[in-house]
This record gives sequence, structure tokens and C-alpha cells, in this order.
Amino acid sequence: MRLSELSLRHFRNLGVQDLQIPEEGLALVGENAHGKSNLLEAIYYLETLRSFRGARDDQLVAFGQDVFRIVGTMEDARGSDATLRVAAAFQRAGRRKKVTLSGDEPPRLGDALGHLGAVIFSPADIAVVNDGPSERRRFLDIVLSLNTDGYLEALQRYRHVLAQRNAALRENRGQSMVRIWDRHLVEFGARVVEGRRRWLRDRGPLFSRYYAEVSGGPAATLEYRPGFALEGATDGEEVETALCRALEASSSREFRTGTTVVGPHRDEVRFYLEGERELDVREFGSGGQRRTVALALRLAEAATIREVRGREPVILLDDVFAELDAGRSERILDLMEREETGQVILTAPKESDVRFRSDALPRWHIRCGQIEA
Amino acid sequence: MSVIEELAREFGRLPGVGPKTAQRLVYHLLKSSPDDGRRLAGAIREAMERIRPCGRCGNFAEAELCDVCASGRRDEDVVCVVEEAFEVAAVERTGSYRGLYHVLGGHLSPLDGIGPDELNVAQLLERVRAPESRIRELILATSAGVEGEATAVYLEGLFRPLGLRVTRLARGIPVGSDLEYVDGSTLAEALSGRREM
Repeated sequence: MRLSELSLRHFRNLGVQDLQIPEEGLALVGENAHGKSNLLEAIYYLETLRSFRGARDDQLVAFGQDVFRIVGTMEDARGSDATLRVAAAFQRAGRRKKVTLSGDEPPRLGDALGHLGAVIFSPADIAVVNDGPSERRRFLDIVLSLNTDGYLEALQRYRHVLAQRNAALRENRGQSMVRIWDRHLVEFGARVVEGRRRWLRDRGPLFSRYYAEVSGGPAATLEYRPGFALEGATDGEEVETALCRALEASSSREFRTGTTVVGPHRDEVRFYLEGERELDVREFGSGGQRRTVALALRLAEAATIREVRGREPVILLDDVFAELDAGRSERILDLMEREETGQVILTAPKESDVRFRSDALPRWHIRCGQIEA
Repeated sequence: MSVIEELAREFGRLPGVGPKTAQRLVYHLLKSSPDDGRRLAGAIREAMERIRPCGRCGNFAEAELCDVCASGRRDEDVVCVVEEAFEVAAVERTGSYRGLYHVLGGHLSPLDGIGPDELNVAQLLERVRAPESRIRELILATSAGVEGEATAVYLEGLFRPLGLRVTRLARGIPVGSDLEYVDGSTLAEALSGRREM
């Protein structure tokens, strides 16, 4: 898919604008705090129905307004006639979100996710390396929710059962009142684990290659550290058995702490630098190495879209080269040019910062939220 | 607050009725004949005063026992356990169930502070243990969600050791629907619960 039209109503400072997006994409140039990232945020909102910057929906409504609305028209890049119009609106009063696909409300909000097939690269991505394990689970959850059938549903149900089970533990009415939640906890937990494990296993080699190409040096690897002992489980059923065992073994600890201590909500992903000795990037990595890990993860995400949906992802680059050294920037640009990228929408504070397909991408400018083609 | 506002507020507290619909209902009543309004008021009063939970199963009843429990022509071997009283009517409409009922009054939900003591579980235990009891099977018809499922597991653990047959409603594809419109988890459920032909 590629985005052909974007219509904005009171989303952040972007006001009322109807934009025709060029087929190859565009480079949006503007000073800081004029709304460059807001445009990418609006576009990516159509993909995930939430802010990639972690803002709440009511914070996205322009000052003094009650409703924001974003409508994106998407066309198949291969030139078929099929177009899809994704419209997302949020009303501050009543906190209502409404999403339609070419005019129809989908049965579940989850059905409206991932139609654009976009990946966003942002300076904030570094949090996936620097911050706690929940950031790494969040990354996996978003990628898998958008690209794996049934993952989002399993994840939501897992969280729901987990909350009930933890409440039961806190009530302290004995084992049997906790155990009645285990069947579903194990069933949905195993599906979450399977999804995460498969992605990390299948995309791991690609991640290493991307890391090596961008760093221009040795590779990095990633490793899945599940929140319980998998005991060599190889399929869903064995994962369920392993989770059952882990729950039983942790029973006394659960009652002491009043919370479920094993399961995918305790999953972790580690990144290692290859070399004479494997070094944990979080402990020993430099700033550049950490950024490269975050970039390589996004590139692996783009590859997932390419493979799962059989089409080029829309690449959104939010001022990503600002904090990379020249060598890394060059190499990642090279890499992106070589991987068949589709539409690219990037932001930069200055003309001279636009280095991606520098001749081909039309320059647009933004000032106080007003975009000029 | 004016009488009109008060009535609109009362209507607005009903499920599925927003402020605008509530106002429409009030204006409609005021425009129609006074008898209509009195009949509605009378019907509401009547229902509120006369309907109470059945002393045995918790179903809606106008007397000590509900129609099902009082009938004497029902199969007393089997009890269908539902979460809410209005679900009894749903099972009755099938016309293919001749047993008795038990209404739990909800499902287990520790997040909402609802445990077995908040549900009519003790009453069911009492019914099963009564010397004159002929109950041999419990059909657990709690909802298919996470809470309904946990409630069923809980009841199974409680009643199977008493020598009862404990069954659960089957889950699967709605009659008359096309496979392509059935959601994934329902279809998965139907696959794992498939039957020999």
C-alpha cells in the first residue's frame, strides 16, 4: 500500500488540511516544534490507532477543539484499482474513538489495524534498548499484533486473565480460587510466547545482518529470554505444559508476593555484540551501538511487513539521522536504497539534512503546522 | 428539578437510553393519552412489587417458586446453571430443555470483588445435598468468556467430587452461518470440539 491522500482535521497543530501525497513519498522540512513529527504521528495513527509517541488520544485533539479526524486513502502500490479509505476520529467529550474502513465500521477495532503497512523510525526508538524489558515486549507486541493473525487477541485475553488471576492471588482465598484461571492463562500465554519466539527466531539472522551492515563492523545477535523455563518446548502444546509446570513451581512465591511471577509478562530480549567475548549491548554498548540495535529492529520489522503482506512497507523517518554519525547514516541510507523500499516520508530540520533519495523526493515545508507542497 | 427533567433522568438510567432518547420518551408519553402513561406506571409498579427471585433456583418468580420449579412436569435429574435470570428465558425458548435451572447471579471476577460468596453457589450446593434431591447432572451454561469459563472450572471442582455428572455447553459455529464469517477463536473451538459423523 501507499498513501495517496491524507485529510487532517484538528490533529495536534495540523489544523484543517487535505494533502495529496506523491507516489514516491516526500521530505518534510521545517524547524523544530513546527509539527513535522505530528504529520508522521497522524499517518502512523492510521496504522495502529494510537500515538507512536505514547500520547493519549485526548492529547492529540487540537487546543480548543473537541474532535480530531484523520482520513487516509491508500492505494495498492502495484497499481490495482483497489483503494482503501481508513478514517479515525476521536471525540474528547465522551472519549469516543470511531474507525471506519471505506465507510464501514469494522466489527472489532483490531480489524482496523495495520492496513497501511508502515514502519516508523524515530529518535525515541532508542528506548527499546535503554529502558526496561517492558519496552522490548511492547516492540514485539506491536509488530506481532500488526503482522500475525490471532496474536493481538491472545495478548489481550492473556492480560485480562492475568489481571483476574492477580486479583485472586491478592484476595488470598486459597489455591483453588487461583487455579481456576490457569487454563486460559496457559492457553493464551502459550500463544503469546509462540508468536514472540517464532518472530525472534525467524528474524534474528536478519537483525544480525542489518546490524552488521549499518555498523560497518561486527554483528549483534538477539536472544529471547522467556519469563519462565521453556524446558526445550518446541510447539504450542509443550509451551503450555512448561508454563503449567512453572506456575506450579512458583505457587508459594505467588502467594507471598500477591502476583503471578512467571509467564510472558516477564519476557525479556537481550542484545549481544559479537566478538571475542559476547557483550550485552545494554550494559556495554556505546550510544551509536544502541541506536544501531534500534534501527536494525525497525529494519527487521519492515522486512516482516514485506514478507507477511507481500508488499513494500511505507517508511516513515522522523529526523532519524540527527543523532547518527556520518558513516552509519551513509550505510543505512545505502541499505534502505537497496532493500526495495516503497513510499518514504521523512522529516528533517534543514534541507541539507535530506539525504535520502535526495533528488527524487519532493520537498515540502512546514511552518506552524501549515504544510506547503 | 422539574417533573419532566426528573422523568427524563430516570429513563436515562436505563441501559441503551441516552439523554436524547430519554427526552423523546418523555415527550412521547406527554403527548399520548394519560391512560397510556398510567398503564406503563402500573405495569412497572406491578413488576417491581410482584417479581422476586425464585426461592429455589433464583429465576424470576411471581410466587415463592418460579414457573419452572413449580411446574412438577420438569425433569428433576438435571440442572442448567446460568449466570443471569434472563438467560433462563433464552434456554426455554429453545424448547429442547426439560430440566431445572439455577441462577448464579453473575460470574466470578476477583477484579470486581465477586467471589463464590457473592454468587448463589451455596444455594446450589444445598439443593444438590438435600435428602430429596434427584439431581444427577449439572449443565454449566456460564458465558463463554474468560470469567464464565473460570466460574465453570470452579463449579466443576466443587460438584464433580459429589458424584454429579458435570457438563459444559458446546461452543462452535452458529447455525446457518457461513464459515468465512465465523471469527478465528470460535472456529478453532469448533475444530477442537468436532464430532464423529
